[in-house]
Amino acid sequence: MTAQQQFSETNIGDVITGRNFTVMRETIQDFADASLDYNPLHFDDKYMEKTFGKTSFDGVIMHGMQNFALISRTLTDWLIPRGGFHRRLETRWLKPVQLGHSITPTATISGKRQTDKGFWLLFDIAVTNQDGDMVATGNSMAEFLDIIPGDAK
Amino acid sequence: MTTLDLDNFETDFWKDVDKRKTWDEIIPGELRDTTPVTLTKEVIARYARGVGEDNPIYFDEGYAKTTPYGGIIAPPSIHILLMFACTTTEDWMRTPGTINAGQNWSYHIPIRPGDTITMRGTALDRFIKKDRLFAVHENTFTNQHGQVVCTGRGQTIRPA
Repeated sequence: MTAQQQFSETNIGDVITGRNFTVMRETIQDFADASLDYNPLHFDDKYMEKTFGKTSFDGVIMHGMQNFALISRTLTDWLIPRGGFHRRLETRWLKPVQLGHSITPTATISGKRQTDKGFWLLFDIAVTNQDGDMVATGNSMAEFLDIIPGDAK
Repeated sequence: MTTLDLDNFETDFWKDVDKRKTWDEIIPGELRDTTPVTLTKEVIARYARGVGEDNPIYFDEGYAKTTPYGGIIAPPSIHILLMFACTTTEDWMRTPGTINAGQNWSYHIPIRPGDTITMRGTALDRFIKKDRLFAVHENTFTNQHGQVVCTGRGQTIRPA
């Protein structure tokens, strides 16, 4: 199938729901070991009792970039089998995610656009927690391409 | 160029804390000190596993060859690792209490095993909003062919 054909099979309004993720000490450790981000915000209970300028937390928090990686996984797991190339992700963190919290990312196709050289899909991103609160919001772009950029050796 | 050695990474972010730039000392436009790193198949697989990426395209060469990608690629989000792998213990992104406020990243070319990635990073801007101290960081990652692989910008709230 050509990129154009694959692009034509996508629909505005389609919702992609990512896997649910529960934050535990082990998931924080795994993420730190993967990302090399060992900020005490994610590990040190004593440290987290203090206030950070205008901000204070109720215990250690999940890495913001864990959220970013989970959104990214949600998009690529859906895009790669459909011939889509993940082009861009923009996020804003609204609320901290803490131990025991469960979050689920969703991506909704919000637009389709053909440019001179590409077929583009636009997504609205939302991540909600176990209480239905929005913890992150954002948007994303994917391109449908006949040839993957770069040198595949 | 350094092959990334994950087992000897300094995980104590309090080390060198006094040598890092505070919000007052961050100069927009000034380059951060970075070192290129080479990403092996093992490093990519370990990153993928750690962040819960289980698509075999990130670790199974036999499978990856059957896809349009023609071989293993790194998960696009691997810049999360590169941000710390390419910088020094004196980099202000390690300062305890650095709070992530949001990010935007663009992807140009997939990173592949054996690629040597160079990071160019600056503070693009700094400001005070709602009584909080913000820094905006901007980064460009290139491969050994000089091609841009990804670029990104983020905002952090700096410890006051």
